[in-house]
Amino acid sequence: MSGPVIHLEHVTKRFAGHTAVRDLSLDVPAGTIFGLLGPNGAGKSTAIRMMMDILVPDEGRISLFGGSVGGRDLSHRIGYLPEERGLYKKMKVVDHLVFFGETKGVSASRARAKAGEWLARLGLEDWTDKKIEDLSKGMQQKVQFAGTILHDPELVILDEPFSGLDPVNSQVLKETVIDLARTGKTVLFSTHIMEQAEKMCDRVVIISRGEKVVDGTMAEVKREAGGRHIALAFHRDAARAAPVLRDRSLVAWADDEGASAEVELAPDADPDRLLETLVASGAGLSRFEIVEPSLQSIFIAKVGRDAATAAAITDQPGSARHA
Amino acid sequence: MRKAWVVAKREFVSRVRTKGFIVATVFGPALLAILLVAPILLQGNTRAKRIVVIDAAEGGLGEKIEAALTRATRGGKPDGEHRYVASRVEAVGRLEQVRDSLVALVDRRELGEAGVDGILLVTEDVLATDTLHYLGANVGSPSEMDVLTRSVREAVLTERLTQAGISPAVLMQTVKPIRLATTKVSQGTLTGQSGAASFALAYIMSFVLYMALLIYGVQVMTSTVEEKTNRINEVLVSSLRPFELMLGKVLGVGSVALLQLSIWAGAAYGLTQARGGIAGLAGISPEAAAALPIPDISLGLLIVFLVFFVLGFFFFSAAYAAVGSTCNTVQETQMASLPVTLVVVSGLFVMFKLLGEPNGQLAHVLSLVPPLAPFVTPARYSLSPLPLPELVLSVVVTALGVLAMAWVAGRIYRVGILMYGKRATVREIFRWIRAG
Repeated sequence: MSGPVIHLEHVTKRFAGHTAVRDLSLDVPAGTIFGLLGPNGAGKSTAIRMMMDILVPDEGRISLFGGSVGGRDLSHRIGYLPEERGLYKKMKVVDHLVFFGETKGVSASRARAKAGEWLARLGLEDWTDKKIEDLSKGMQQKVQFAGTILHDPELVILDEPFSGLDPVNSQVLKETVIDLARTGKTVLFSTHIMEQAEKMCDRVVIISRGEKVVDGTMAEVKREAGGRHIALAFHRDAARAAPVLRDRSLVAWADDEGASAEVELAPDADPDRLLETLVASGAGLSRFEIVEPSLQSIFIAKVGRDAATAAAITDQPGSARHA
Repeated sequence: MRKAWVVAKREFVSRVRTKGFIVATVFGPALLAILLVAPILLQGNTRAKRIVVIDAAEGGLGEKIEAALTRATRGGKPDGEHRYVASRVEAVGRLEQVRDSLVALVDRRELGEAGVDGILLVTEDVLATDTLHYLGANVGSPSEMDVLTRSVREAVLTERLTQAGISPAVLMQTVKPIRLATTKVSQGTLTGQSGAASFALAYIMSFVLYMALLIYGVQVMTSTVEEKTNRINEVLVSSLRPFELMLGKVLGVGSVALLQLSIWAGAAYGLTQARGGIAGLAGISPEAAAALPIPDISLGLLIVFLVFFVLGFFFFSAAYAAVGSTCNTVQETQMASLPVTLVVVSGLFVMFKLLGEPNGQLAHVLSLVPPLAPFVTPARYSLSPLPLPELVLSVVVTALGVLAMAWVAGRIYRVGILMYGKRATVREIFRWIRAG
């Protein structure tokens, strides 16, 4: 496939009183893992709902698979996991998956076979004939995910897929998503957890207050962010390093996480002098590494810079973590 | 629309599988059987009441009352079971003493055969006044007192007539009431059905629709709310149009209603057919048990009823679905659904009103009001079939009403099922309906 799988052109959506998405344009190329990032309330879910034809944009154009047919009529080619998850509590796991399959136009017998495959793959084969209400939250999430991809869609849209999952299940989900991309599927997922996105995404778009602030491949985004970033870790008394991190002649900006931090050097500062100062501070420096900027730091710089600088000026260490 | 079918199938299967459905479907006919058999069994077990007539009057009135009580049988048939075991005590001049000694025996189960159930005081002035004193444990039962009064009244009446020199037999013959034996003629053919039976049928049909709406229409509403609470709607509307979802739900729940009603109707038919046998088991003659008229339902009426049942169910279920979509909890729906429920209730009441005059001006008009026609038209049809053009017009107008309701409900449902938070105001709902 040559053109983008999802194409948004100057899309705007207003609700009573506020604009949820403003003039958003983006392209999701085929076969990529695409991250739609932004803080809570940035408009990620609204954008996704418009892609799925659940909401109609006030302005702009949305095209899926290069055509003009809405998301609902293409639902057999799309797997959608909404942020608001829901299952019929009284139904058996396998019956529920067959029902999901049938709503996507898959025959009951094929849906049953596929459900068996996915349940086995997600480690739920013993729960096939149990009722949904007997499952733990995490298991229900996995059932929901299986229902999303049961009909073998070309495009998978996942709204906050990792929220509420423990590390083990997150890992299972992550591997499944990566496998999907390997078999040529296109995956778009939204999240506000940057570590997750950084590890998985080929391309990202960051939106803030409904507007796009970053767009590009992971490499492009990092290159563009520029600056000299240094990852730090302390093993003795991190508080003693705090005044150094607030020294604007050395540090332009810091993402201070207490025992570790990522800083961007001030434009004219010398990394050697920062190292000396930190060693002298007595915080017990255990890591000092010149790194590429992390997605987390780019995110905070683009979305929460105002908050970050405000925190530095009012002398409140730690409050720069507005993820 | 194939997807609406998938939704309907899920609704149907998941409902029919529940314990509640199975219990209700089995217990319905069981309850019916009990209602049918219990009175027969109870009747067989009631013993005759022992009544003592204290006779303080001259001229044999006491004897006549005693005789009347002895004659009284259940069901008024000469060979029926006796209602009373009557005995008489002469007590001229010593009424109080006899009464007090007998009162001591009333309602004393331990005395067995020697006990007394009631005492009737016959005094000289009974013929002049219209009062007779009765003392007993069963005075609280209006039906027993009613039967007793009738037996005594007959004796007193005869005595009064005799004293006035009129032959009671002649008078009884003279004042015998006229009974109008009715037979329904339907489109030039004798149906062999009495007026009372078609009346019962009209009543039953309306009531079945009413029950189905209040039980299953409301289920459409609560399941809409539950889907909102489950947050499952967003998954569903990404692959189905909200209208398909609503349609599937109404179809699925409606099929469950039809299935259950068919099972009940079949069981009721079987029971009424077999009631002779059931009565036989209880040791009662089949003729005595055949009191209940079995309405004969003609094919034409059955079709009219089913057509209007389906139309009525669609109309009100769509309304209930729309109401459900504007609410967030089942509690909220109880208030919000009141307007719809009131229309359902008024349908039943209007039908009652029209039973008296099935071809009046009002009946013609109400057959063309979509929410009421499902109640009115089949009831009218069973009493006296409508002319075909009027029947067709009623169906068409009701069907158009259903489409209009489905359109409005679909618009509300479409927005409502994805709305969370505060319940929508009436103004907001009108905006949803108008919005493109």
